[in-house]
Amino acid sequence: MNKRILQLPAALLAGSLLLSSCGKEKVEAIKKWGFRSPDYFPAPAYNFENNQQTYAKFNLGRMLFYDPMLSSDGMVSCASCHAQSHAFAGHNTALSPGVNNLVGTRNSPGIFNMAWSPAFMWDGGINHIEVMPIAPLTNPVEMNETLANIVAKLQQSDKYKKLFKEAYGKDEITDQKVLKAFAQYLAMLISDNSKYDQVKRGEATFTEAEQQGYALFQQKCSQCHTEPLFTDHSYRNNGLDQNFQDEGRFLITQQESDRGKFKVPSLRNVALTYPYMHDGRYFTLNDVLNHYNNGIQHSATLDPSLENGIPLPGNEKTLLIAFLKTLSDYELMNNTWLAEPKQ
Amino acid sequence: MKNNIIWGLTALFLSVATGCKKDKITPANAETDTVILKIEHSWQDSLAFALNTDLINPLTNDTLNFVTFKYYISNIRLKKADGSWWTQPNSYFLLDLSEGTTPSVPLAGVPKGEYTAVEYVLGVDSTRNVSGAQDGALSPSLGMFWSWNSGYIMLKAEGTSPNAGMGSFTFHLGGFSGANNIVTKRSHNFGSNSLSVTGNGNCEIRLSAAPETLWATSGSVSGNSMIHMPGTGAKTMADDFYASFAFKQIYE
Repeated sequence: MNKRILQLPAALLAGSLLLSSCGKEKVEAIKKWGFRSPDYFPAPAYNFENNQQTYAKFNLGRMLFYDPMLSSDGMVSCASCHAQSHAFAGHNTALSPGVNNLVGTRNSPGIFNMAWSPAFMWDGGINHIEVMPIAPLTNPVEMNETLANIVAKLQQSDKYKKLFKEAYGKDEITDQKVLKAFAQYLAMLISDNSKYDQVKRGEATFTEAEQQGYALFQQKCSQCHTEPLFTDHSYRNNGLDQNFQDEGRFLITQQESDRGKFKVPSLRNVALTYPYMHDGRYFTLNDVLNHYNNGIQHSATLDPSLENGIPLPGNEKTLLIAFLKTLSDYELMNNTWLAEPKQ
Repeated sequence: MKNNIIWGLTALFLSVATGCKKDKITPANAETDTVILKIEHSWQDSLAFALNTDLINPLTNDTLNFVTFKYYISNIRLKKADGSWWTQPNSYFLLDLSEGTTPSVPLAGVPKGEYTAVEYVLGVDSTRNVSGAQDGALSPSLGMFWSWNSGYIMLKAEGTSPNAGMGSFTFHLGGFSGANNIVTKRSHNFGSNSLSVTGNGNCEIRLSAAPETLWATSGSVSGNSMIHMPGTGAKTMADDFYASFAFKQIYE
């Protein structure tokens, strides 16, 4: 019995004994950090094909995620713009500073439940979780580094040589190994323990206001913010502007019909991840609901469902906000497996 | 301890395998050979294509001075005389013409025998564009992968030209799906002279390609000197260049 097994809760230990009695010696599958897909979630898009999950690879990915050495000036890590304390979104700023305090044009989103996402970024330009980190690592206003340089820096580090050896059996470091380790960590940023989830599993009940807000949500919002991930992974123009400073999905597809469209963001943790929209223009949920209620701007690609806005009379906004707050997942933000490693 | 067990099992497996099929145990190198696929790059029908040299494009009269010319060739197969195929495993190569304008692609492990045709893909098949982090010739650290719009840059031609408005040209051609798909399968029959792989180490298949054809339809760099994403522009240029690939001859 090694130390890790002793740390497991009694229930899991019992489970492992059950497994051993069936002739299996390994308890890997039930370790607390292992990937999980709640039974009310759809099948994940990422299934660790060609990247079998191990604790050593996950841990390496976590070290890389929190290491500012990966940026050109050694000041910016992935966690700089994706903070666990903010549900892995930015620090409540419209735009997040990269190297030399440079900023880009889009709001840093919460990067949870990536394992269920078929594409990444506000415009969906990135098609796989393993190649996702390349964009922020190499973007001149984010981490501004080259993959080759990152590999060279890691090769200089005894700490990382040891971690790569633990993860891959050899201390040889390649960009592919870096990216696969990243995917092991990123896929573990799972948000499935909000009050909404607890209600879903029969472990809690909504208040009267939350329940009414939920009913309104299902009636007026869930066509796009589809449960249980609270996004349908589509790209839509939600009527922010008549003319587009940022043409969104069009930049990827070059299709006229995609001008001004952006990915429907998940609403999980939405109360914690202000400001809102691709450019962070709205600071409160009330501002957002006012936009849908009476602020829709018309253009050729406006989503047909928003032609007349979403009328939210009386106390409907208050009720919706009561429900949206049940989507905050404090376990995600306090999970020590995902936290910055002690140096 | 663990290693000893693995070796023990391997030895056991091998001894069983030997007992069943003796011929499979013969050392591989005695039954196979390495065939070299070589691609000449011509300019104005001669071997004058070069980087860092002023070249006149006969199709557009542009003066072009190439700094970079790189492209992917992949999924190489050889057709046996009996109609079956030998397929190279993990067959991806980035040809960088700054290292020589007649690059060689080694095809290792080709079984001895007669071969009548070669088939290959220009570009990187769609599967490898959508399957996450790759390595070797497909490593995203080689500057041939778009970070913001996932997919391989399958051909990079960069340089300077007095005909281009900005004085330089940059063509990054890619695209693996729908109307923008530039991935192209080519094949050539060797004709009356089949390739005999006998194990003498001298087998070579020689192809040729003509970089000037990139501009056959798209025209002078004065009109368009930059492409950096999939689209009709990339498709037109890639189709024209890929069509210039031709079989030259067999050396044995």
